[in-house]
Amino acid sequence: MTTTGFSTLARLTGQSGGVPDLRIAEYPGPLGIHDAGQIATNIGEALIAQIVHGLTQAGAGSGAVAPRSDPRAIVFTGSEEEITRHFHEKEWSDGLPVIAPTIERVEAFVAQSGRRADERIAVLPSANRVATPWNIAVNAVMAGCLPAHMPLLIAAVEALGDERCSLNNIGSSSGIFPYVLVGGPIVQQLGIQSGPQLISRGPNPAIGRAIGLIVRNIAGFRPGASYMGTFGYPLGIVLAEHESSPWPPFHVEHGYSPDESTVTVGVTNNWGSSPSPYATADKSGAHVALELLCREVLKKTRLFNFPARGPDAEKIMLTLLLSPPVAQSLADAGYSKADVKRYIYEHATLPLEEYDWILRYTAIMRTTARKLVEAGVLPPEFAGSPGDRVRILSSPDVLHILVCGDPHRNRVMVMEGGHTQPTTRRVVSR
Amino acid sequence: MNPLNVVSPLGLKAVEDVAAARRLDTLDGKTIAEFWNGVFKGDQTFPVIRGLLRERFPRLNIIPFTEFPHVPGSDHPAHQRELARRMAALAREKGCDAVISGNGA
Repeated sequence: MTTTGFSTLARLTGQSGGVPDLRIAEYPGPLGIHDAGQIATNIGEALIAQIVHGLTQAGAGSGAVAPRSDPRAIVFTGSEEEITRHFHEKEWSDGLPVIAPTIERVEAFVAQSGRRADERIAVLPSANRVATPWNIAVNAVMAGCLPAHMPLLIAAVEALGDERCSLNNIGSSSGIFPYVLVGGPIVQQLGIQSGPQLISRGPNPAIGRAIGLIVRNIAGFRPGASYMGTFGYPLGIVLAEHESSPWPPFHVEHGYSPDESTVTVGVTNNWGSSPSPYATADKSGAHVALELLCREVLKKTRLFNFPARGPDAEKIMLTLLLSPPVAQSLADAGYSKADVKRYIYEHATLPLEEYDWILRYTAIMRTTARKLVEAGVLPPEFAGSPGDRVRILSSPDVLHILVCGDPHRNRVMVMEGGHTQPTTRRVVSR
Repeated sequence: MNPLNVVSPLGLKAVEDVAAARRLDTLDGKTIAEFWNGVFKGDQTFPVIRGLLRERFPRLNIIPFTEFPHVPGSDHPAHQRELARRMAALAREKGCDAVISGNGA
């Protein structure tokens, strides 16, 4: 059963699982905001007959087997403008003009990857389609990348295909999309930007766009069909940590050598708001930064999931972007990245009654904190009194700190993600 | 400028298609399971659906979602697969002829 707008997603899910003839019954309209009377009426008038039909009548395409395609087959011939228009019509592009993926251009990109064109790099959900250097290169050409970006893109696709990344779950209405963090020597080698306006300069936008096209064309996330963000998606974000960071970079924190080049795929559902902490007579800049980060965490949409833990909990990830001066003020005050995470974990708290309101009225599961305590998803403190303050994060480990952006600004940003964990791969140049 | 020949950006198919399970000839006298993932008001919709199906098919046996695991969250792919396997096995064990699932929005 689906609601209006999600039947295409259900059909695509059936196709990606090898069942193109999945039977679907569609409830009309946004169920979430309908009251009990509307729900009963809609089920009686529209849904119930479809359920009976789906259980008793075979679909038209039962047992059909889709053909496999030849990746070198010419799918269109025309001018650059005609090709852009054709790709838009096929929903193969993000609405911007594309560089025509000719065989010659794609071959040049594959050559830089050091891999065989048909090597299986990953099988990407939700469409469960195979990513190869060839089709990664096609999307990279379209996005305006350079051939030298191929090893980075291949590592990113390996990360996307890792179950830790859990790409299959990002089609949510909350509009989650992948971002890419580049670490190690490749940042300098490729000129990846880490400073002022980093996501909008250098090769970052083209690489981010390529990731977005790969998610669309290989992983099969089509806006409005299987990629259901209510307000859509921005172009992909590429980040790198600034060289003036006082702390070890993300990839070194996670066990890689400073000399290794890595790509990490994370997710977020937001970009934008970047408040600034100010030092005052009564509080240091570091102190204000910590308090501000706690307040930013508490503004997030999926707050209801933040304290959940255990195998039945939905995963969350929060990526904190600190401009270099903010990080330096914290380091000067004696804080490591781990200390900052621990502080936020300890001090990002809400009255239990406020958390319960969010859970009851804005969460898809429409439950209460007490019920989730009984299910073992929340810790016992969430079964306390309404005025008790509860820690909103399950662990300091759901926080990830990146130092980047303008080295002359005191700004922070909290990016909120869900369902996935940051997933890192080495970039191998052959 | 000469026309350009271009190739497809799509991924290659990795999963073999299979036929959907055979449909039931009638719901009368059959056993049907409700699978719920704990979200999107399934606790409201399934009882209504159950009542209407029983009106139409008095000998239909419906096993409610409360008889199956339905924990929300659990978004790790391996955990999701294992849960799906457990639920399918449980449905077979209970003699189910069909399942109503999804409840997506």
